[in-house]
Amino acid sequence: MVNLTEFEQKMLNGQAGEFKQKALQFIVNYADVLGAKDLCEISRATLFIGAQHYLEGFTTDDYNEIFSKFYLNSDKPIPIGQFDESCAVQTCVAACVTRDFATVHLSKEFFDKNNNFYAITREAGASEVHTCTPYFSGWIPLPGEHFVTTESSNVLLCNSVFGACGNADGIEAAVCSAICGRTPRWGLHIKAERYGNVVFTIQCPSQTSFDWDVIGYTIGRFLPRAGKPVIAGNFKRPDIKKLRQCFSSLATSSNAEICHVVGITPEARTVDDALGGKEPAAYFAITQKDYEDTRRLVCDPGSGPVDFVSIGCPHLAIEEIRDIARYLQGKKVKQGVELWIWTTKSNQALADYNGFTKTIEESGAHLLDSSCPICMKHEAHKHAKAMVLSGIKQAKGLRAQTAATVYCGETLTCIDAAILGRWEAPA
Amino acid sequence: MKTIILKGRPAFGGIAGGEALVCPDSIAGNTGSLGETDGIIYEHGNPNRGKCIKDTILVLPCAKGSCGWSCHFKSAKINGNAPAGWVVTIIDSRIGVAIASLEKPAVCDFAEADPVKIIKTGDWVKIDGSTGIVEITPK
Repeated sequence: MVNLTEFEQKMLNGQAGEFKQKALQFIVNYADVLGAKDLCEISRATLFIGAQHYLEGFTTDDYNEIFSKFYLNSDKPIPIGQFDESCAVQTCVAACVTRDFATVHLSKEFFDKNNNFYAITREAGASEVHTCTPYFSGWIPLPGEHFVTTESSNVLLCNSVFGACGNADGIEAAVCSAICGRTPRWGLHIKAERYGNVVFTIQCPSQTSFDWDVIGYTIGRFLPRAGKPVIAGNFKRPDIKKLRQCFSSLATSSNAEICHVVGITPEARTVDDALGGKEPAAYFAITQKDYEDTRRLVCDPGSGPVDFVSIGCPHLAIEEIRDIARYLQGKKVKQGVELWIWTTKSNQALADYNGFTKTIEESGAHLLDSSCPICMKHEAHKHAKAMVLSGIKQAKGLRAQTAATVYCGETLTCIDAAILGRWEAPA
Repeated sequence: MKTIILKGRPAFGGIAGGEALVCPDSIAGNTGSLGETDGIIYEHGNPNRGKCIKDTILVLPCAKGSCGWSCHFKSAKINGNAPAGWVVTIIDSRIGVAIASLEKPAVCDFAEADPVKIIKTGDWVKIDGSTGIVEITPK
């Protein structure tokens, strides 16, 4: 059984109230499943909550009852109290936009239900931010800081780029951690567990965001179980947006939670540094053939007409919205084609202020906030016959939800498809 | 048919038995890959696509995909479609949450033999989550 401090033991005994008691009980059970020896304090959390589709089996709309049963493992409804006051708690990507719900084919009823659920958790201390890229709106854990997050690409980015400490804890544990302020000290919360053990040498294109999306998915295909990849080789230096793509697809094809990039990320000044001086378990080269194999796995073959284009998985940075607005200036999306561009609520507000939203909307496209087609699920995209998607995670996720043709590629190639109403297979 | 015994780390207590559902490449955690209410695997490329996890002993190497991995299994449980238990080659945080959340017996971390390679879908598997003993009766 996990060791608890006196403070934690009192909370587990109920002295901080039933809400925190139940949350800590879950974390203690989770720690025992993992085999953790003790707990550590967390100071940041992003939570995939609201009217998410994993709640669709509930026949009640009583959020207290739903919250207790789903997150706290309690059949008895427990009044929702407060999240941990020293933890920066905010919402992860939502199942619905915060405006324009008709544009994405969702009902007023679902929009209201989602807002009602979020109003309750906002009262409890969870700011409504609604994004899978919280670092674009200031949620940035420092090196050594312990966090929980429900976004898999964010787990990789925070561990690898920011040097912070967190596991891919899942929604129930992340919610309970945000309530009691504790998570099991296990996995990437321990320095000895953070070293890389599989080296990938990049011998394929690494210029564009889509290249890095392909690289991430390919590494995940080859990564052995419990593998912690180290990216080495003569690659073109990526920025945070390219690593965002790499990590989102890596977390789609594998269970990786940290990925060292030699010369870029702080625990990988050299290959030796990333490996902690040990021999790696395996070496792989990512070749042009591997790159093409991945492209064939994520993008249907050939060319053809399209009616649904979605950009921004994970959510876009403000400069990407600027670039898209500039590209769309004076152009028109083909009639009958939907072009959706996804970003954070905060970046949407900035895009409004900068005039980017107006330019995008004038082309017939829509700048949308807080969600994405995967998270909105069938209702939002069931009409689509042929989809074009800029993120491999989105392409793989939607493939499980749709019978439509699914194409996937670089952002501007996807936008060209929306303008032409047609996907042209890359040469 | 001779029974095969494997020993792993006891991760969640209790005894469970059921037909094995072996997913050598795990099950994706992204929304839509596992039916939220019906517990059916919809992930393309999964050899068990179309099968339901209900009452099975799920045999997995690890988790993969979204951090939301556990919530789809929790949703299936709330709708009466939980697996009977878990056999996991190497535990990770995604599966750890699911085991804690579903409160079903689990045996993890097999050092000597990989259950994903030894157990076949349809084999009868009995697990003791308090001792770590897994008994396999091939079909």
